[in-house]
Amino acid sequence: MNRRDFIKQTSCAAMGTTTLLSTLANLTSLNGALGSDLVKSSPPSDYKAIVCILLSGGLDSYNMLVPTGTTSGGDNGYNEYKAVRTDLALPNVGSAGGLLSLNNPQCSSFRGISCSYGSFGVHPTMTGARTLFNSGKLAFMGNIGTLVEPIANYTQYQSGLKKLPVGLYSHSDQSMQWQTSVPQTRDALGFGGRLADLLNAANAHQEVSMNISLAGKNIFQRGQGISEYAIRNDVNASNVGFESVPTWWGNSGLLTQTRNNTIDSLVSKTYSNLLQKTYSTTTKNSMASFGVFKDALQKVPTLTTTFANNQLSNDLAAITKIMSVRNFLGAKRQIFFIDFGGWDMHSDLIAGLNSRLSIVSQALKSFYDATVELGISDKVTTFTISDFARTITSNGGGADHAWGGNTMVMGGAVNGGKIYGTYPKMDVLSASNQQNVSFRGNFIPSISTDEFYAELALWYGISPYDLCYVLPNLGNFYSYSANNYPVGFMNFNGTSISTENLPQDCLTY
Amino acid sequence: MKLKLTVFFIILSAINFNIQGQQTVTFGLGNVKNVTVSSSSNSTDGTKTLLSSGYLPNYNSASRFLSHATLGAKMTDIQSVATLGKEQWIDNQLNLSNSFSTETYLKSLHQIMVDSMLRDNPAGGYTLDNTGVQNWHFDASWFQGSMTAPDVLRWRVALALSEIFVISRISGLDGQPYALANYYDVLLNNAFGNYRTILDKITYHPAMGSYLTFLNNHATNTTKQIYPDENYAREIMQLFSIGLYKLNLDGTEIKDANNKSIPTYTNTDIAALAKVFTGLGWGDRPYLGHYQKDKWSYTKRMKFFPLDSLEYYQGWWQPKIYNGHEPGSKTFLGSTIPNRPVVQGEQDIQDALNIIFNHPNVGPFIARRLIQRLVASNPSPAYIQRVATVFNDNGSGVRGDLKAVVRAILLDQEACDCNPDNNNNYAGMLREPFVRYMNLMRGLKLTTQSGVYRNVMYTLYNRIEQIPLYSPTVFNFFQPDYSPDGELKTAKKFAPEFQLLNSQTLTAYVNALNSWLVNDDPVEFWGLFNNETYKPDQDAKFDLLADSTLAINAKIPQLLDKYNLILAHGAVTKENIEIIRKAIVSMPYTYDYYGRPYSEDVYRRIRMAILLIMVSPDYLINR
Repeated sequence: MNRRDFIKQTSCAAMGTTTLLSTLANLTSLNGALGSDLVKSSPPSDYKAIVCILLSGGLDSYNMLVPTGTTSGGDNGYNEYKAVRTDLALPNVGSAGGLLSLNNPQCSSFRGISCSYGSFGVHPTMTGARTLFNSGKLAFMGNIGTLVEPIANYTQYQSGLKKLPVGLYSHSDQSMQWQTSVPQTRDALGFGGRLADLLNAANAHQEVSMNISLAGKNIFQRGQGISEYAIRNDVNASNVGFESVPTWWGNSGLLTQTRNNTIDSLVSKTYSNLLQKTYSTTTKNSMASFGVFKDALQKVPTLTTTFANNQLSNDLAAITKIMSVRNFLGAKRQIFFIDFGGWDMHSDLIAGLNSRLSIVSQALKSFYDATVELGISDKVTTFTISDFARTITSNGGGADHAWGGNTMVMGGAVNGGKIYGTYPKMDVLSASNQQNVSFRGNFIPSISTDEFYAELALWYGISPYDLCYVLPNLGNFYSYSANNYPVGFMNFNGTSISTENLPQDCLTY
Repeated sequence: MKLKLTVFFIILSAINFNIQGQQTVTFGLGNVKNVTVSSSSNSTDGTKTLLSSGYLPNYNSASRFLSHATLGAKMTDIQSVATLGKEQWIDNQLNLSNSFSTETYLKSLHQIMVDSMLRDNPAGGYTLDNTGVQNWHFDASWFQGSMTAPDVLRWRVALALSEIFVISRISGLDGQPYALANYYDVLLNNAFGNYRTILDKITYHPAMGSYLTFLNNHATNTTKQIYPDENYAREIMQLFSIGLYKLNLDGTEIKDANNKSIPTYTNTDIAALAKVFTGLGWGDRPYLGHYQKDKWSYTKRMKFFPLDSLEYYQGWWQPKIYNGHEPGSKTFLGSTIPNRPVVQGEQDIQDALNIIFNHPNVGPFIARRLIQRLVASNPSPAYIQRVATVFNDNGSGVRGDLKAVVRAILLDQEACDCNPDNNNNYAGMLREPFVRYMNLMRGLKLTTQSGVYRNVMYTLYNRIEQIPLYSPTVFNFFQPDYSPDGELKTAKKFAPEFQLLNSQTLTAYVNALNSWLVNDDPVEFWGLFNNETYKPDQDAKFDLLADSTLAINAKIPQLLDKYNLILAHGAVTKENIEIIRKAIVSMPYTYDYYGRPYSEDVYRRIRMAILLIMVSPDYLINR
């Protein structure tokens, strides 16, 4: 039995996660940097968290990160940008309401494709993100996107010989593929879910999922044996679980218990109908987690860091609360998921980005500050994803669906202040632009979600041995060897990754 | 085996009948019990010949049918179906014309506001034009219609359509209740009309134009490097008509030689179709690109402008007139719309809608979506095929007749059979959160003295995250191919509504029931204007008086049977009823000095009993 089959079979059977972990540990399959710690249940010094922010709708990320060079015959990025983006172009650095320049962003090359420009700025409203970038706590991924295998240029794209993601340009598909990193299928589990399959057992309270969602059901956090625990951003100890029947009913406590016990009895029965069974299981699992969660939330400390009052900030503030009681939750590993939508800007794009990117920038800064206050800034890595970037050319006030785009990754363990991947050349109306596949300006990603996630997974404590369980297509992009990190944006503190546990079971084409 | 069988059905007989083979059978599709049969046939296999038509359903069967065909039904509705039969009931419903306009009702609420403000300040000069109106005025209008309109089937189908042809206030439509109301009225008016008419009406509707951003969309301008907006071109194909892959008539995907699904369109088709949807602007504005609008603009069919004279009207220096509508031929889905003068561009739009309408995917695509909204998450291919066949031809050569489609969906044997042999383990659907709420509002006796059911549904949305026209995206609250973790996913079966189910929302649902039932707070009454006096005769409450004799221990089974029938068509199993019964009889039931039961005890038992039925998996999964 190979490893993937093993995981499948153990999680299909009614085997507890703890059993799965100890079995895996016995198979020395989790011998990564943190492997030996994983079976210990107490010391929380080893805490790590990943926060995924989905900017759903398709962020126009070529107006988030913009080339600023104006050297004719040299780095003339801004003028090339302005020429194609027409009414969507932002004013350059130095103009009123202009781009904010980044200090020496060091965009060089990736997998044989070089970065087109040397100087860059961020959207005029993103002061917080610029501060984080310039202080080395935030990096950009340039032209990153969904890929099954590398596609070097337009010729390869057209050849019919390269596997393409299914449903390119479709919101539902591209948003899903960013969450699964398996773009050849609609059936894949999420990246966060597969991480949790391997690491969830490290958490003391198995009834509280390692994956906590501010966005209800989502694909990112879906694993074989893991579901998300969903909360609202106004979560507190008093609103977890079922409300009591009113105190004016006199015997409220007893009646509440009777009601809850009855609900428990109804969902504890065996149902042959799978919809009934699924409903019952979900209810039962949720009810099991209420107690631990409620108790932990009663211990939330007061923090001095303040957050603005909008959805994203409130979501991040809620995550801060939960991380602050991680010891009471018995959590050594957590994965959070947020969906901050409203980016499908087919119209009113300039105004839309002004209002929303400012929220993102400010919320990221507050959240980073909060992790510093909690003393875990280098234990928490936050990143943005989005369905796709938008067409470089305008539809008159807005832009349409495209492909590769730019994202952010933030945290104390990020080698910030750089642009990873590459930034494509903006002259999309020129036939010589080999990264562009449409007259509207849609870029083939120059770095894949797999490469990005692989680096995160290694930092998070996944053994190289397990990388291809987490990222089945990874073998198409990344050839493992010690100290050859997939991208290089995480700081591994000089530790080398194991040379003994080579990746297993990668799909190959 | 086919055979002739004369059958007479009489309702309410309590025993199963012995057919000539002397074996006891439970008769009728759906294992409907309590039916008496007299047969002149000597066959021992009579059950197999029964179609799901031509007989009168018993109460459970009638209630089950109404759970598909309405937003919720009372005992009187159940009795009506049991008396008329499903076919007669449905034909009566299909012949009722639309009785309620959400826009008209909204306007009446709006007028009440204006009148009262003028009463307070006669010199204020208030009019409908200058007085603001909010989203919740639409929601209150919707609720009033849903509680009072006799054409209940239309209301059920319109809600389903609103989850297919999605617009939402989470967009530029926020704060535009007239846009929501006028659009919803299109769905109500055309729920039993032709699908092609709906395509036309939504394509020209300013709410859709605004939501999917093709309003004021103009032709390619190569000088300015501006191209037609592709949003509507994509979503009308992906979500409203044909979907991503070529389908067989039974809804399964056609495979190529390599067993791969075949995409229906490419990005090139999208770009071509985007050129068609150019030149449509506000219906009450003088030129394309005019961005000013008022609340009435959202109620007027979009106007076609062949030319874009924005610069001319806005007093530019050396203004240019551009094409509003894209010139030239447009090829998509393998068909070509001919090159016409741009002034004839509306014919392009009609041609394009015809090309989409006549695509073979539409029948199975719409059939599956409507079945999923009304009946079941996993219809068999045969069921989809039967409905798609009716979509393609209603029997009189008409394609897209929704009246025939709705009839075919609800009367199909698979819809009527609660125990289909082929898919018992994944039969049924999780009731949508909002439909559960409406089941309760319409199933119980919710009364107001005035006949006005004022309910702004504001807290309701915060609790259950679903009310009409409030989807997070054009992909609706949940997607047709969503499959939750676990055995359903392994079995490759779907359960769209589970996309809304998680620890947070299922908690919120139980807490909402607590509020609606236990706290006796079923609706949300807001004042229409500042300082309006509270009008208790518009604030609906449950009237449970008729049940008050059923709260004593000995009658609890009767109480539970009643609500099991009304809310769950008797689907809550004996074992689960017993679990609930035990809980209810453990609740206090005490008497006052005169030997009368305390009414608090009585009503608390009734309310808790209904709550527990509504959290039972037997109710929640409608099968």
